[in-house]
Amino acid sequence: MTGFEFLSGLLAVLQWDVLLFLVSGALLGAVFGALPGLTATMGVAVLTPLTFWVSAEKGLAMLLGIYCGAIPAGGIPAVLINIPGTPASIATTWDGYPLARRGEAGLALGINALFSLFGQLLSVVFLAVAAFPIASFGLRFGPAEYFGLALFGLSLMAGVSRGNVARGLLAGMLGLAVATVGLDPLTAFPRYTFGNTEFFDGIAFVPVMIGLFGLGEVLARIGAPAAPNRAVSLSLGRLWPTAGDWRRLAAPGVLGSGIGTLVGAIPAAGGDIAAVIAWEQTRRISRRPEEFGDGSIEGLAASSSAANAAIGGAMTTMLTLGIPGDAPSAVLIGALLIHGVQPGPLLFHEHRPLIYSIVVLMILAAVFTAVLGLAGALPLARTLRVPDPWLWAGVIVFSVVGAYALNNSLTDVWVMFGAGLLGWLCRRLDVPVGPLVLGLILGPMMESNLRRALILSRGDWTAILGRPLVLLFVLAAAASLLWPLWKASKDRAHSEPAASA
Amino acid sequence: MRRGDRAVGAAFFALGLSLLVSAARFPPGVGGLPGPGFFPSLIGAGMVVLSLALLGSGFARRARPAPAQHVENPHRSLAGLGAAVALTALYLAFWDEVPFAFRTALFITVFLRSQAQPWRASLQVAAVVTAAVVAAFEYGLRVHLP
Repeated sequence: MTGFEFLSGLLAVLQWDVLLFLVSGALLGAVFGALPGLTATMGVAVLTPLTFWVSAEKGLAMLLGIYCGAIPAGGIPAVLINIPGTPASIATTWDGYPLARRGEAGLALGINALFSLFGQLLSVVFLAVAAFPIASFGLRFGPAEYFGLALFGLSLMAGVSRGNVARGLLAGMLGLAVATVGLDPLTAFPRYTFGNTEFFDGIAFVPVMIGLFGLGEVLARIGAPAAPNRAVSLSLGRLWPTAGDWRRLAAPGVLGSGIGTLVGAIPAAGGDIAAVIAWEQTRRISRRPEEFGDGSIEGLAASSSAANAAIGGAMTTMLTLGIPGDAPSAVLIGALLIHGVQPGPLLFHEHRPLIYSIVVLMILAAVFTAVLGLAGALPLARTLRVPDPWLWAGVIVFSVVGAYALNNSLTDVWVMFGAGLLGWLCRRLDVPVGPLVLGLILGPMMESNLRRALILSRGDWTAILGRPLVLLFVLAAAASLLWPLWKASKDRAHSEPAASA
Repeated sequence: MRRGDRAVGAAFFALGLSLLVSAARFPPGVGGLPGPGFFPSLIGAGMVVLSLALLGSGFARRARPAPAQHVENPHRSLAGLGAAVALTALYLAFWDEVPFAFRTALFITVFLRSQAQPWRASLQVAAVVTAAVVAAFEYGLRVHLP
């Protein structure tokens, strides 16, 4: 790190127009997070087109604002109506809602806002400290190692596809298959383009993301049984924890942030998994484990900090290796590519000031979101009264126009529509969408690197697998796929005698 | 058995097979090295194997009835979904035929009515969302919306 580069990155974002984009993004993100059914991923996907025509700093400011604003705001409906605003807030409902029912909704929202800030800040420190060494290590990777890394990332995503590895892998392969559309990267032979020259560069990533996470999610919501009426109590009480509360909350906050950062850094494991693990680990070491799940402020601090710390972890993996840590960071990759920024180790050598800009933007977004969470909890809670169909109409129109705005192309709009139907079908048939997205991102990386590695080794697979790092990645990929299968068969073996008894 | 194991397995089997067949028609690589069909055929083969595994597990496991869900009127949500898909397709089909603002406002109004929203609210939301999109994209970002 040089002082000049840091200063350059800092000055690039400390401008009123960049800050305006950041604040707008955080506000929009908070709305997307606070409304059940609208997620952080959807927010980043649907609003990415708004950043096409601005500089990378402004675009990044808005998108990071949405990402960093949506996750903490997801805790608001989790506390007030027991419905997580985003998947990362699932564990927040366990203690947040019981606290609200006891008449301490304000305290629950306050802890959620403050420990979301704590988690985000700690994970940004991790990003600032760990990213450069990881990126330097990544520079040693050759084509074979990149192939191994992509394989490992895809296997992890399939492995955490709750309950069915085969479906996760198939979804990942579908993403890989879609990624093969276009000119072959090495021979320029057109594949699956059906004579349409607009497909020569491949299926545009952003319209697919908008379709999968925007239109697809809306269609899934419309087709689902009607949600119960949202009776929101707007009497909050005190927001700020007492000195005694702070003493109890410090350790869970640190533990949650640490777990969240590390889990978030694992490809595919996002804030939802991080929060659940942090909640469980904190319960184990707590002096009052019996309170967990019944309005424990420690459980709430652990889950909120972990869910938000996962952001920095996911960003670290995404920026250093080009592998998304979670779904919103997967969409962010597409947005970064539009702004001419290719995530990966080279980013840290070619655009170092931009990395510092990202760190500063994430810190500012975290602070602004915390202020918003404390001061704006009540107005955000009021947004829960907006009827779902109004939101659906807005999301559909923004999805259509956003997909069109990318290239002024109606083909992109139809691609978005097709991806939306595919997203709905996947949700309907319990096929996870996450591995599909990862396959789409990692497909070109996997194919070109595997083929380059085979060319370099003259078609000798053993020479590729003989490289220590590649072998490590392949073994780790196999372990991540076999572990859920082994665990499922073990669980079945345990449950069958119990059922027959 | 999870929802639609057989249907999902069959769909992926067909897709995997078609990838294998189509990839075989691509030109081969030079000097025995992988060509354009190499990666699609790898994906196709993987899909076929995994989909067969899914199909096998779908047939092997005894089908269990899905847990009962409280649905007020399942036909109503399905009709709402069908209306949303059809209206969106129509909205796109008339992209170059009808001016953007009118088409968008009409789409939102009809969409909201199909979701059982009152007339007045539907018209108000249509006006606000259309104005917001035109302001953001046409005037803010200078995107020509036909």
